[in-house]
Amino acid sequence: MAEITNYKVAASPHKLDRSNTRRIMLDVLIALAPCLVCGVLFYGLYALMLVAICVAACFASEQVYNLIRKKPFTFDLSAVVTGVILGLNLPPRAPWYIPIVGGVFAIVVVKMIFGGLGKNFANPAATARVFLLLAYSSVMTQYIGADLSNVLAGDVTTGATYLGGGIAALQDSFLNIGGYWGYVLQLLFGYVGGSIGETCKLAVLAGGVYLTARRVIDWRIPVVYLLTAAAMVLVCYGSASEILLQLFSGGLMFGAVFMATDYATSPKWRYNRVLYAIGLGVITVLIRRYGSYPEGTSLAILIMNLFVPIMDKYLLPVRFGQTSKSGKPKPQVMKWAMRCVCIALAAAIAVAVPLVNYTEVQLYTGRFSYVTDAKREFGGGYVFSVEGEAYLDQYDYTQPLAYEIKLNAEGDKVLSVRPITQSTMGYVANLAFFEGKTFDEIAALTDLSTDAETSATYTNTALRKMILECFTAYDANIADYSAISASGEHIVKAERCGDLYRFTLSGVADLAEYNYQQPLAYAITIDAAAGKVKYITTINESTYGYTVDREIFVGKTAEEIAAMTDETIASDITTGATITNAAVRDLIGECFAALEGAAKGGAE
Amino acid sequence: MKTFTKGVHPAGCKDLSEREKIGAGPEPAHVWLALSQHIGAPAVPVVEPGQRVLRGQLVAKKAEGLSANIYSPIAGVVKEVAGHITISGKKKDHIRIENDFTDEEMLLPRLAEPDGAAVLARIEEAGIVGMGGAGFPTAAKLAVGGRADVLVVNGAECEPYITCDHRIMLEYADDLLRGIRFAMLACGAKRAVIGIEKNKRDAIELLSAKCGGDISVRPLRTRYPQGAEKQLVYGCTGRTIPEGKLPVDAGAVVVNVHTALSIFRAVELGEPCYRRVMTVSGKAAKKCGNFWVKNGTPLRDLAGFCGGDENCARIVCGGPMMGDAVFSLKICTAKTSSSLLFLDESECESKVASVCIGCGRCVQACPMGLSPTFIEEALFKKDYAEAKRYGALACIGCGCCSYVCPAKRFLAQSVKLAKKIIGERKI
Repeated sequence: MAEITNYKVAASPHKLDRSNTRRIMLDVLIALAPCLVCGVLFYGLYALMLVAICVAACFASEQVYNLIRKKPFTFDLSAVVTGVILGLNLPPRAPWYIPIVGGVFAIVVVKMIFGGLGKNFANPAATARVFLLLAYSSVMTQYIGADLSNVLAGDVTTGATYLGGGIAALQDSFLNIGGYWGYVLQLLFGYVGGSIGETCKLAVLAGGVYLTARRVIDWRIPVVYLLTAAAMVLVCYGSASEILLQLFSGGLMFGAVFMATDYATSPKWRYNRVLYAIGLGVITVLIRRYGSYPEGTSLAILIMNLFVPIMDKYLLPVRFGQTSKSGKPKPQVMKWAMRCVCIALAAAIAVAVPLVNYTEVQLYTGRFSYVTDAKREFGGGYVFSVEGEAYLDQYDYTQPLAYEIKLNAEGDKVLSVRPITQSTMGYVANLAFFEGKTFDEIAALTDLSTDAETSATYTNTALRKMILECFTAYDANIADYSAISASGEHIVKAERCGDLYRFTLSGVADLAEYNYQQPLAYAITIDAAAGKVKYITTINESTYGYTVDREIFVGKTAEEIAAMTDETIASDITTGATITNAAVRDLIGECFAALEGAAKGGAE
Repeated sequence: MKTFTKGVHPAGCKDLSEREKIGAGPEPAHVWLALSQHIGAPAVPVVEPGQRVLRGQLVAKKAEGLSANIYSPIAGVVKEVAGHITISGKKKDHIRIENDFTDEEMLLPRLAEPDGAAVLARIEEAGIVGMGGAGFPTAAKLAVGGRADVLVVNGAECEPYITCDHRIMLEYADDLLRGIRFAMLACGAKRAVIGIEKNKRDAIELLSAKCGGDISVRPLRTRYPQGAEKQLVYGCTGRTIPEGKLPVDAGAVVVNVHTALSIFRAVELGEPCYRRVMTVSGKAAKKCGNFWVKNGTPLRDLAGFCGGDENCARIVCGGPMMGDAVFSLKICTAKTSSSLLFLDESECESKVASVCIGCGRCVQACPMGLSPTFIEEALFKKDYAEAKRYGALACIGCGCCSYVCPAKRFLAQSVKLAKKIIGERKI
C-alpha cells in the first residue's frame, strides 16, 4: 500500500460552514438587485449611472486608500455593497458628483480611517447619506415622480415624496384602486417619488426575504424595527391608517433590511439586536414626526450605531449554567425583557388599531354649525364629530351636546351614534331614532318625542339637525362628484354623482335697510330622481346669525319652492334671515332650471 | 423536547460507516501504550523491558490520586519504556510491546452478582476511562457517594462521521443495558436516561424496546454539540449544571455508551480496558467502518488496514469538530480514540483567516453563551480580565464559533488560549 504522504495539519474544527465574507457580500448584492431594477424602471437609466458612479467611487477610493497606507488590495466586495446601498439612497436626478463625494466620504472617512471592514462604528452608507443631506440639502431633497417612461427620457417633472408632501404627493388612484388602499398600493409598488432604490417596497421585501433565507441578516432587526415604528406611528400620529403609509414611505424599509443589519455596526447578540431595533423604530418616528427632516431612517441608524459598542460590552448573553454571586441561576433578564417588549408592542398595535383606525378628512367645503371634524375609518365609513346644544326653555337651561356620528362609506346611512357629551340627568338622545336610518328617513322624522316629561325631545331634535348636517358635510366634501356643464347666472360649478346634481352658486342678499349687501355662496345638491332638494351646504353667508334655514327647503320640489312666498320663508323677521332665505329660494330655482337644461343637454 | 439553544448543524456524513458491522481491527506488530491515556497522573509501569506479557495483563498501575490502570492489548514482549510522540505533538512515555501473535490471554476473574462497591472496584481495576473522548477515570466519576439520582448515558454522538457508539447501541444493546445497570449500581443512581440524537432512529427504537423501568431512552434533537456533557444533561433531564460545577452537582452522572459497554465487559467477561471500537471513515478511506482496535495501535497500521488513498488531504483523530489533525502516522491510538478520519479536499477546506466583519454568528452559535469574537479581541489586546468577563472560562471547546465564522477566524483556538492564560495567571 502506498504510504499516505500529502496530508496536512490544520486546527479543528475540520469541517467549516460554507459561508465566507465574499459570498455574504455577494448575497447582499443579489438581494439589492430587485431594488436597483425597480429604481431604473421608475427613474431611468440616469439612476443606474448614479449607482454605477457610486460603486466605482467606493471601490476606487478603498483601493487608493490601501495604496497610500501600503495595505493589500481588498476584493471582498464590501465596498461594492456600500456603493450600491449609497447609490440607491440618492435622489434619482442628483448631479453626477454627488455619488462621488458620498462614496469617497463613506469609504474613506467612515470606514477606512477607522480600520476598514468590520472596524467602522457607523454605517458608511447611512452616514454618507446624512452628510450629503447636510452638505447638499437642496439637491438631496429634489425628487421626481416615478414613471415607466422615465427609462430613457431625461426630462422629468420634480415631485414631492409622501413624507415631504403628504397625501398630495401621491396619485389619487393606483391600478384603479382609489383612496387609502390606492395610496398604500402605490407606496408598496414604489410608484412614487423618492430615492432610487428605496421606493419599491416589494423589491426591498424580496431582498429581505432572500437575505433572511440565506441567513445573512438576522430577521429580528427589520421585523422589530418595523414593529416598533408601527407602534410609534400609532402613538405619535394617533392614527392607524398612517402606519402603513409611514412604513411604506421613505427609506424605512430599505434601511431596516439593508442598512440597520450592517454587521459591523449592529449588535452581535440577538437580544441586543432587538433592543437596537426598538431604538431605531423609536428614533425614526420621533424624527419624522417632530424633527425638521421628513426622513429619519439614516439618522436613526447613525444614532443607534453609536450605542452598539456599549450594548455589546455590557449586555452580554447569559451563559449556560451561569450563576449569580449568591449561587442561584442568573436570570435571563434581557431575553425576557425583550420578548415582553415585543409582545407588548404587537399586542398594543393589535388592540389600538381598531380603536384609532382612521384618516383625518379635511373639510374644505362648507361652513357647518355642528360638524367640527371628520375622519375616515380604516374599513370605510366616516366618523363626524358634532357639537351643539339643546335649549330647554322651560328651565332656561342650555345643555351642551357632542356626538360622534358614523356614516357608512357611501354616506347614505347612519351606522352609529356615540354620545360624547349630553345630559347627565337622563335626558339622553334616543339613538334608535337615528341608527341604521337613511338621510331621507331622518329628514322625514317629525315626532321626536321620547318622553314629554324628560324633555329629551329637545336633545333628539338637536341631534337630528346635527345628523342631517353630517350628511351635508359628507356630500360637500367626500362624495365623489364629477364636473358637468351647466349654465346659470349664479352657478359657479356644476357636478354630478349618480342622481345627485350639485351646484355651487354665489349670490348676494340685498339688505337694503342696512345698505349692506351680504355675499352668499352655497353648494346645493338636488336629487334629480326625486326632483327634490337634498342638501344645502353653506360656503359663505352672514357670520352674524342671519343664516339660511335649510329645513325650509330640504326635501321640497321645485314647484313647492317656487310657490314659497316671502312670508312662508320668514324664519325670524328681526334677524333678517328672511332675505337670505329668499335669496336661497331664488338660487334653488336657478338650480332646478339648470338641472332641466343639463338633463335636456344630456338627452340630446 | 428540551434542548440546548444555539449550536450548529454540520452535515452528518455518518452514512459512510453507520451500516457496517463492527469488525476486527488490525493486529499490530508493535503497540505503544501511552502511560497517560486519561485525565490525571500518568500510570506507573509495572513491567520491565524484556518481560513477556499476555493479552489483558496489567502493564502500568494507576498512580496515586486520579489515574487509571493500563493493560496490554496483545501477548508479546515489553521492549522499552520510552518517549513517543502523541497527537498533541508532545513526547510522552509509552510502553512498547512487540507482538508475538500467540494471543495468549490473562483476563480478570468474572464477577457474579456484584454489589455497587464490587463493581466500582472492578471499574477501577479494569482501567476504564471515559471513552467518549474526555478520558476521565470512570471509577472516580461514579464514586459520588449517592449524590446522583440519575445516570445519563451519552449516545448522542453529535460529531459528524463517528458511528462507533451508534453501532455499539445496535449490536451490543443487551450488553450495554447490563453495563448501564452496573454503572447505576456503582453510582447509586435510581434511574438512567440514554440520550440519543434523532438521526439514529434505529438505535432509539431498539433500545426503547429493550429498556424499561428505570432505564429510559431520550431522543434528542440532532444538533452539535448535543453530546457535550452540560448540553446532554440539560437535554436528558432538564437540569442545568452550574458553571464551574460537575454534573453531580445537578444530581447526574454522565457516562458514554462505550464506557457502559466496557463496564459490562469488565464485570461479566473480566476483560479490562485494552481495546475499543473505532470508526474509520472519510471519503479518502478505502474501507469505512467500525473496528475493534487495540490500544496503542500505530495509526500507520490502521491506515494500512483500512486504506486511506492518495486523495487524503487531512487525517483527523477524533471527530471533525473537535478532533486533532494527525501530523504523523507514528502516533498510536489510546483508550479515548473514537475515530480516525481520512478526509479528502472536498471534506476539509484549508482556511485563511480574514478580518472579523462583526456578523456575530459566533455569538449566536456558542452553546455556552459566550462572545467568542470579543474574547478574541480582548486576547489580542492582552486584556484577559475582559476576556474572562465575556466568559472565556466557560468554553467547552466545541468549535462552533470557528465552524460558523465566515471570515474563517481561529476563534476556538483564541478562546482556548484565553482560557488557558486566565487559568495559569489566575486572573
